[in-house]
Amino acid sequence: MSAEGQTVEPVSERPIGPLILCHVLWRSFFFQSVTNYERMQNMGFAYCMAPALKRLYRGKALEEAMARHLAFFNSHPYMAGALLGATVRLEEECAAGRLPADQIVAFKRYMMGPMAAIGDSFFWASLRPLAATWAIMGILSGLYWAPVAFLCLYNVFHLGLRTYGVFVGYRTGERICERINRFGLVKFADRSHYLTGAFLGITAALYVEWATETNAAVGEGAEPFLLSALILIFFFSLKRKMPMPMLLYTFSIGCIALIAALDAWFPMI
Amino acid sequence: MDASALISELVLISLFGGLFALDRRCAFQVMASQPIVAVPALGFLMGMPEIGLQLGALLQLIWMSSVMFGANVPPNETISSIAIGGMVFLFGKYIGEITTPVWTVAILAGAPLGFLGRTVEVWFDGDNLRLVAHADQAAEAGKPQTLSKIMIWGLLRIFVANTVIVALGIAVGLGILLALDGGELATRLRFGLEGIGVYIIPALGLAVAFSVVRQRGALLVAAFSFVAAIAFMGPGLGS
Repeated sequence: MSAEGQTVEPVSERPIGPLILCHVLWRSFFFQSVTNYERMQNMGFAYCMAPALKRLYRGKALEEAMARHLAFFNSHPYMAGALLGATVRLEEECAAGRLPADQIVAFKRYMMGPMAAIGDSFFWASLRPLAATWAIMGILSGLYWAPVAFLCLYNVFHLGLRTYGVFVGYRTGERICERINRFGLVKFADRSHYLTGAFLGITAALYVEWATETNAAVGEGAEPFLLSALILIFFFSLKRKMPMPMLLYTFSIGCIALIAALDAWFPMI
Repeated sequence: MDASALISELVLISLFGGLFALDRRCAFQVMASQPIVAVPALGFLMGMPEIGLQLGALLQLIWMSSVMFGANVPPNETISSIAIGGMVFLFGKYIGEITTPVWTVAILAGAPLGFLGRTVEVWFDGDNLRLVAHADQAAEAGKPQTLSKIMIWGLLRIFVANTVIVALGIAVGLGILLALDGGELATRLRFGLEGIGVYIIPALGLAVAFSVVRQRGALLVAAFSFVAAIAFMGPGLGS
């Protein structure tokens, strides 16, 4: 292997077959098993790359390739599939002597951030709340298969993008990022919040309906106002960075104290 | 109460919790670890599907903001939710009737487990540096197969830690429920716990979920759909 910036001597011309890509895909499901604070997901990345590297390199070249992928890496676990596919392609080029090894390192370094941003924004901040609020609303409306629908809806995107990423990433190499960009995931993510908001509004109404049917019903049509007031208080408290458990326990103790005080003053209750 | 059957089911629920908690970050991440899936699945296995669904929906709302952005490690919603579900289902099966105060106490007792789970996870993330050092040595020796062993070890120890946390959480929670059940204290607390379970926990859960919504316009949509749904449900609502 030559020094950084120079093309490596050809080690292998063997192409990576679909079986190895399937192996990489399977291993990508364990991407975050050994996350650490120093190099984040480096172990996961190296573990996923290992089948391809073993195929492409032997001896000293294998050691260097392994060390290359044990460097710092931090991205979104689902989007890492695309980077894995593209990196396998680049490693293949490198093993054939057509690409310098430092270009692979540079590709990973420059792409992990933007891919993480797309994945965080689409999956964590948009799709998961959207699918979950829909499922909660479904359960409260009597759709008892809603959790299964939640899993299906979420994983159509998750498994679809992960598989697409590995295979199309391998086929297109560095151009995988353009391909992913074409899906408009960020635009979808922005718009999905309106739908999530609508589902949450209906969910709040369903909780009001549920409250009227319990022993804790206040009567006189006060439940919508009581629940709305509490939601607003909690919402603004959370926005002011008050932690959720503090609100939970403070209000719970307050509620019990209030009931106890009322019980003492008006024993009829 | 059949204590040996209760203990064996507690152990099984803990193993279920440890396994599902792996899906949260370490393996697959197909979202089976989300409360809305894990708790109904546990309820189904325990023969109480309807309670599992209702509880899962509520816990999902409470833990909606528990998301792993970047290097952030959020509270472990899975072990907390499964421990809460375990307390409720075991109480219903072996001790008494599942009422609003029962699951309210379970939520109050089980919520801190999410934060304990986070502390453990943060500790593991720090300790994983030792495993990374092993991986570096394996790379130098040209032994990529060692990485598999390290990954399995990483998974195994998270599984064991989460299983133990769920088991201890359920045991403590059941102890609290037993102490409160049927006594003088329970009678005094009942109204308060009903109020917490019916108003405070759902309202807090909804507020957490609203805080996840990023577009301001979406909050207006939420307010409009709330009013429209209340109007649609009928004027008799709440009277």
